[in-house]
This record gives sequence, structure tokens and C-alpha cells, in this order.
Amino acid sequence: MSEELSSTVAQNGLIAAALAAEICPELALAPLAPAEIYRYLGYLLKGSPAPPMAERIAQVVAEAQLCLRPRGAYAVYPVSRRTAHSLKLGDTTISGNIGEYLKDADRVAVFAVTAGEEISLLSESAAKNGDAFSALVMDAVGSWAAEAAADALMLSVRRHLRDEEELTLRYSPGYCGMEISQQRKLFPLMQAEAVGVRLIPSMLMHPLKSISGLVGLAPKEAVSSYHSPCDLCPRTGCSMRR
Amino acid sequence: MEKPIQDLSALRHAVIEGDVPASVTAARTALEEGVQPIDVISQGISPAMAEVGKLFEEGEYFVPELLMAARATKEIFVILRPLLAQAGSKPMAHVVLGTVQGDLHDIGKNLVAAMLEGGGFEVTDLGVDVPPETFIAAVKKRPVQIVGLSALLTTTMPAMKTTIEAFRAAGIREQIKIMVGGAPVTSKYAETIGADGYSETAAASVDLARRLVAAC
Repeated sequence: MSEELSSTVAQNGLIAAALAAEICPELALAPLAPAEIYRYLGYLLKGSPAPPMAERIAQVVAEAQLCLRPRGAYAVYPVSRRTAHSLKLGDTTISGNIGEYLKDADRVAVFAVTAGEEISLLSESAAKNGDAFSALVMDAVGSWAAEAAADALMLSVRRHLRDEEELTLRYSPGYCGMEISQQRKLFPLMQAEAVGVRLIPSMLMHPLKSISGLVGLAPKEAVSSYHSPCDLCPRTGCSMRR
Repeated sequence: MEKPIQDLSALRHAVIEGDVPASVTAARTALEEGVQPIDVISQGISPAMAEVGKLFEEGEYFVPELLMAARATKEIFVILRPLLAQAGSKPMAHVVLGTVQGDLHDIGKNLVAAMLEGGGFEVTDLGVDVPPETFIAAVKKRPVQIVGLSALLTTTMPAMKTTIEAFRAAGIREQIKIMVGGAPVTSKYAETIGADGYSETAAASVDLARRLVAAC
């Protein structure tokens, strides 16, 4: 379910420069496969826990899934200028290697998604009750849900692709050569607060299980030649490698 | 003749398997059979946790298994603590933990709390976004041997330094040992900001805390 922005766009000068903007108050997440949660819990070499542990994890996952409130917002901007170390969207210049990473995109979507605050509150409550195991599994479900919400939001962003275009990888402040301080520039470019995502002074987002970032709309040919940024990382044993 | 130490293999097995109810039952049974509380620790809990640590190092166990084993030993310590106090044993060290001001991440800190409790430490968890004055108030309130500071981001990591400086300004820095941890933290950073110890993982934080207490 989603609602197109209309009046809110007019209230925000920056977003008025967007080609399109959308608020998605209810994102439908893909089904959660146990293997995904095992990955977030760090099971890598063996792939999955022994049956009694798998059963314990499944029970907590079932409870945690009831607390997910995935939602998101995005706005698509034309790229007005770029260098290897910057990317200008409307009047806002984002600094960092993002200019190089999104060099083939002539439009870029700025986005924020969240799994909601409830999952973090649930995890926090389990920890306060001395149940660090459940807290850990709930936290993993929240991390998975934030990524799954971003995947779900991308289905909406895809509607803005032209023929022979594809979405690039997603890039977030704090990674990929983009300082986390760039969050301050990103947030006015979209209606994150409309889905309850806000920045706190340390540049963290609240709720905790939220993701903000940029994704390019670029020719298919250029996107298919992209490699994962993980190729540059020496931690080949990382369970989050993509 | 001194009574021989009972077979604590059931207790060790239950702890290694992370079976909390079976661990508690095995501990109660052992105590009823006359095993001394101190032997429950030295012959039961300690070797079991050493095995759990080994399985973790070998990649056989992961954090969830560590946490379940720590939960099991924590519950056994709940039974043992009053018995140890009766017997005149020195109470275990008290650790105050928190995620520093500006940071909301709590899962790493929660893991450390669980592992320390499983190691027999008494833990006061101050939560997340904890200002220096709250850490200081906790230390002034009752005897504390160790303060643990957690941060997940490079942007919030400097609050660890601020907190340590606040302890110094309050004149109580020398009363405590300070350990730090979190994804961006390194042993070098820990040294730079004047911390007493750094642990890369929650599992290793128990050994670090023991070393710091021994140095108190």
C-alpha cells in the first residue's frame, strides 16, 4: 500500500525538486527463511545450528515477526552534477566516493526504510529480563527486516526505471566512502519523518532498525558490469558478504 | 575422611548443551548430595564454560550457544551466591556496563552482560545513551570494580573518552578499572583514551574482567 506525495511535496522546497516521491506506510516483506536469520546470528561455516538450537531460534523468530512494522519513503532526483568525489541532487551536494559509484546513473533515489521501533523495544525488554539469547535473535530479526524493507521499497523505485535501465547497488552514509555526516544532507531530500524515521545528533537513526541510502537508476549494461563493494574487502569469511 | 567430589558430568553436560532447566536441576541435585558450592564452580561450571569457549573458538559453537550456556551458569550462580556468602566467600566483582552517550546500540553490550553474569560477575546494566554522570553516580552508589563502556560507531566512540575523563574529573578514576569494546574500537584506541582493557568479543570479555579484577 502506498500513497503518492502531493501536499507534503509543496511544503518542502528540496523535495519539490524531485522527479517523484512516495511514502510507503506498509511494506510487504519477502518471507523470512531460517537460513537468513542464521546468517545474521553469525552461523557461517556450518550454515545452521543443531536441531534443539534451531527450535529455540524458531520460537523467538515467530514472536519477533509479529512486531515488525516495515515502512519507507523515497524521492527520485535527477543528477545535476557529479565528480568522482561528489554527487549533486537538486541543490544538495553529497560528498564521497558515491559520485564514482553512481557515475552511470542519471537519476538517483534517496530512501529511508525502517522495521519499526517495536522490534527494538521487544529486544530491549528481553535483555532487561536477563534473556540475552532472545534479545539477540530479536535484534537479528530486526536487522533482517530493515534489509527486507529496503528490498521491498526498491520494488516501488523500480517503477521509475525506463526501458533498458536497472537499479544499482544501494549505498548508505557511513559506508562506501561516504561519511556518516552526509545523513544530514540526505534526510531533507525525502519524507523519512512521515514514516517515523528521524536522525539523532550522533547521526544514528531512530528507530534503530532503519536504513537510509542512495540507489542509482542507470543503463542495464553499466549496472551489470558493477561488482559488489565486498570484492574490495579483505574479510572474505564475513557472514554478511554479498 | 573428606567426602570425594561427586560426579558433576550431568551438570557440565547440561551447561555445554545450554539446557537451563537441566543445569539448575543438576546443580540442586549436586548440592543436595553434599557437593560444596565452591566445587560446583571449580568442577562443574568452570570446565563446562572452558569447553563452551573451546567449541566457540573452533567454530563449532556460535554466539547463541554461548548465550544459552551463560544463561545456564547465571541461573546456577543465583543458587550458589547465598551459599557462598554463608560460607564466607568473597563476593564476585561488580561490573557496571553501558552504551555511551549518543549511541543507541545495545546488543553487543547485552552479550557482554550475559557472558559476565555467566562468569559469576554481578552486573548492573545502565542501558544505552548513558551520560558520564550516570556512570559516575552508579560507581558512587555502591562498590564497583569494573566499568564497561560500549559504542558501535566511530561518531559515538569519542564519548568513551569523555566518560573516562569525567571519572578523572570526579576524582574516582583510580577506584575502578575501565574496559571498552564495540565494533570500531581497537586495543590501540583503548590505550589512547586511557582505558584499562579492551575486548574484541563478548566471549573474551570474561577473561579480561577476571584479569582486571586480579589487578585491582
